[in-house]
Amino acid sequence: MTSRGVLAIVALAQGALLVALIVLIVLNRWFRLRHRARVHPRVVAVNAAMQRWALGSVDLGTVLVHLSRLPVPLAVDALVSWSARVPGDRWRQLAAALRGHWWARIVRSNCASARWWKRLEAARFLAVAATSEDTPRVLTLLRDPHPAVHIAAVATLERLESAALTTAALERLPRLAPTVGAYYAGMLRRSRPVVVQLLLKMLRRAGDPALPRLVEFAGRLKEPALRERLTALTGHPDPEVRVQAARALGSYPHRESLAALRVLRSDQAWAVRAQAIRSLGMIADPTTLPLVRNALRDAEWWVRLRAALALTRFGATGQDALLQDEVGADPAARDMARLVLGLSPQALAEYAA
Amino acid sequence: MNELVRAGDQVILVYFLVLNSFYALLLILSIPEIWEQTRLAADDDFQRLMQSDALPPITLLVPAYNESATIQASVTAILTLEYRNFEVIVVNDGSKDDTMERLRAAFDLYEVPRTYPDTIATRPLRAVYRSRSRTRLVVLDKENGGKADSLNAAINASRFPLVIAVDADTLIEPDALLRLTRPFLLGRHIAAVGGTVRVANSCTVEHGRVTDARVPRRFLPGVQVVEYLRAFLFGRLGWNRLGGNLIISGAFGLFRKDDVLAIGGYRTASVVEDLDLVVRLHRYLLRRKVRYEMPFIPDPVAWTEVPESGRVLARQRERWHRGLLAAMWTYKGMLFNPRYGRVGLIAVPFYTLGEALAPLVEVLGYVITAVGLALGMVDVSFALLFMLVAWGYGMLLSLWAVVLEEVSFRRYRRIGDLTRLLLYATLENFGYRQRTVWWRLKAFFTVWRQQHVWGEMTRTGFQSAGKQVPEPATARRTDAQG
Repeated sequence: MTSRGVLAIVALAQGALLVALIVLIVLNRWFRLRHRARVHPRVVAVNAAMQRWALGSVDLGTVLVHLSRLPVPLAVDALVSWSARVPGDRWRQLAAALRGHWWARIVRSNCASARWWKRLEAARFLAVAATSEDTPRVLTLLRDPHPAVHIAAVATLERLESAALTTAALERLPRLAPTVGAYYAGMLRRSRPVVVQLLLKMLRRAGDPALPRLVEFAGRLKEPALRERLTALTGHPDPEVRVQAARALGSYPHRESLAALRVLRSDQAWAVRAQAIRSLGMIADPTTLPLVRNALRDAEWWVRLRAALALTRFGATGQDALLQDEVGADPAARDMARLVLGLSPQALAEYAA
Repeated sequence: MNELVRAGDQVILVYFLVLNSFYALLLILSIPEIWEQTRLAADDDFQRLMQSDALPPITLLVPAYNESATIQASVTAILTLEYRNFEVIVVNDGSKDDTMERLRAAFDLYEVPRTYPDTIATRPLRAVYRSRSRTRLVVLDKENGGKADSLNAAINASRFPLVIAVDADTLIEPDALLRLTRPFLLGRHIAAVGGTVRVANSCTVEHGRVTDARVPRRFLPGVQVVEYLRAFLFGRLGWNRLGGNLIISGAFGLFRKDDVLAIGGYRTASVVEDLDLVVRLHRYLLRRKVRYEMPFIPDPVAWTEVPESGRVLARQRERWHRGLLAAMWTYKGMLFNPRYGRVGLIAVPFYTLGEALAPLVEVLGYVITAVGLALGMVDVSFALLFMLVAWGYGMLLSLWAVVLEEVSFRRYRRIGDLTRLLLYATLENFGYRQRTVWWRLKAFFTVWRQQHVWGEMTRTGFQSAGKQVPEPATARRTDAQG
């Protein structure tokens, strides 16, 4: 075949493709319109049935019939959106009824799908409709490599109490990005008794690289049972652990916390000093005011900032200390006091966060 | 002569085949990528996560030079973005108009002592201001040093670990910051994330927000809508899969501050500071064998005004291409260098040979074809057929971008807008493409003598609720690389 022949074939193929693309665009619009016209009334019907069922005016069977008429992704969407509005007992009835329903069985079987979006659909469904029999499935989803899947799966902890699930989520927590970790922490807080016992064990693993994240989480829990262990960790050789311990102790106003923070205030690592001063400000014990004020002369800017912000939490005496330092002899303390005294209350709150 | 023309023909044919095969690869790779991204964008749990308190705080860097007409509206719009923890640092880069006075009056600014070190050297700072009415706002007043210098000054003053450079005239969608942080939530080392920049001309803007997306009726801005769709929706999505995104738009890209500081911030000598920054980031991270990603995600959107006149567009395209040539020359050590992995072996060669040299090859092709036709060495029907195939391929790529837009985000809902998109995608190859080749070709002559010259961008202003903003503004700016 000549090169002209090849080009002619390519040109013809291109022409066909161009026409096909234009047809595809037109068909896509048409299908979307048609799909919307067909599905929208069913969505409305499901919402109406859910509302009536929540009020007790129709039986559960009606809801299930309407749900089964929806495409599976939209049925899962409807379940997710209604799960927050229906009281727990009634919702558990629905979850139990869905256990044997044909489309729910299909969604459950997607837990092992090779396609992540199928697993995501299963995770979203189980997050609102899991029963105790689904624990192994949710465990698999919690260990899923795709973030969207395990993030959806961890929401199951809101509805299903299970030591196995809580342990799996807590084991994963230290390896997560901070924001995802915070989301996990929010979910784990609901299973407090199990979490506290597990944490007490995990915080004893001195060589665990996950220790800083676990200490951070323990600080967020503000659980009195954890205070003693957190105080012990202020002497840990890893500065990151000490940073997190210093930060956590701010939520535990206790004389042992104050004693540990006094020591950390002279730590070699500036990040530890900054967090210790921040925590002293949170506890705002009057006996520590000179210590906090002294930190305004620290060599590190961030420690001075934390000290100035901490002083604002000591009330009038802290404010007086700042005003004195604003006109004092130390230039570093003067600049910092001037900066913080010039901040509006909202800016102060943002800085202190 | 005969042999020379024939050899030239063959070289251009091979170039054409290789380059277009690569575009076909990008096109194929963009399909699973847009599928994944649209799924993630619609995931409710992710949306919930992205609205949590623990999101990484962000500093928005807003350089402003002679932006008096628009600065108040722009900063107000930026301050009302949906994000929990962010600060806005506006840098008045020695404006000759009353930009600083407008800022002072609009946001009740008061001077505060400067309490941070000059991590990156910049032109002298005159003063630092905070706002009594908007606590998130910090304003730096400094001597004129250019956009890169302003961005560096803002990075010095920023408190947060992520920074995003935003042009004062760019309209960011309210949830765009939330969406941009999505890759940072996935626990990997994300060095930077780019979002989509769309054309705001002819769109209705209310309170600094695009409320009605339209495709312009005028050809020049209209055809740029197709160009932007092509560049963002399949070009950069395809590159995600190849791991070598070289362009994160300077008008809308989120960067990890530590990495930006490690490479010394923006290079003030560069014409396209965004491309330069991204290439240097790649080089820095690859040399240190850091496993990182620099993804583009399509759902966060910023809107920008594109040139409506050929004169301004010509200057912009010449500048972009000048910047590309300069960057590829500066970092020529990365070309085909296995030390830089896929960036050195695929991305830099593509941008050097496929993008930077493309206008030269295209013009050479036209010249050789013309000479061949004149001397009777090239068959007329063959030449026409070849041209038809080349143009048809260009149309296919543009139409594919429209298809991706239609099946994913569908911002242009009216049939009229869709028709115009299809029309521009078809007409782009007849005249407009050749003009852009000429504008880009001029960069080869200007690249060595005027590296630092910025083109003036005349703006007509956004349509505000159907009405044209009366004050036209003239200022320096960067736009998304096409």
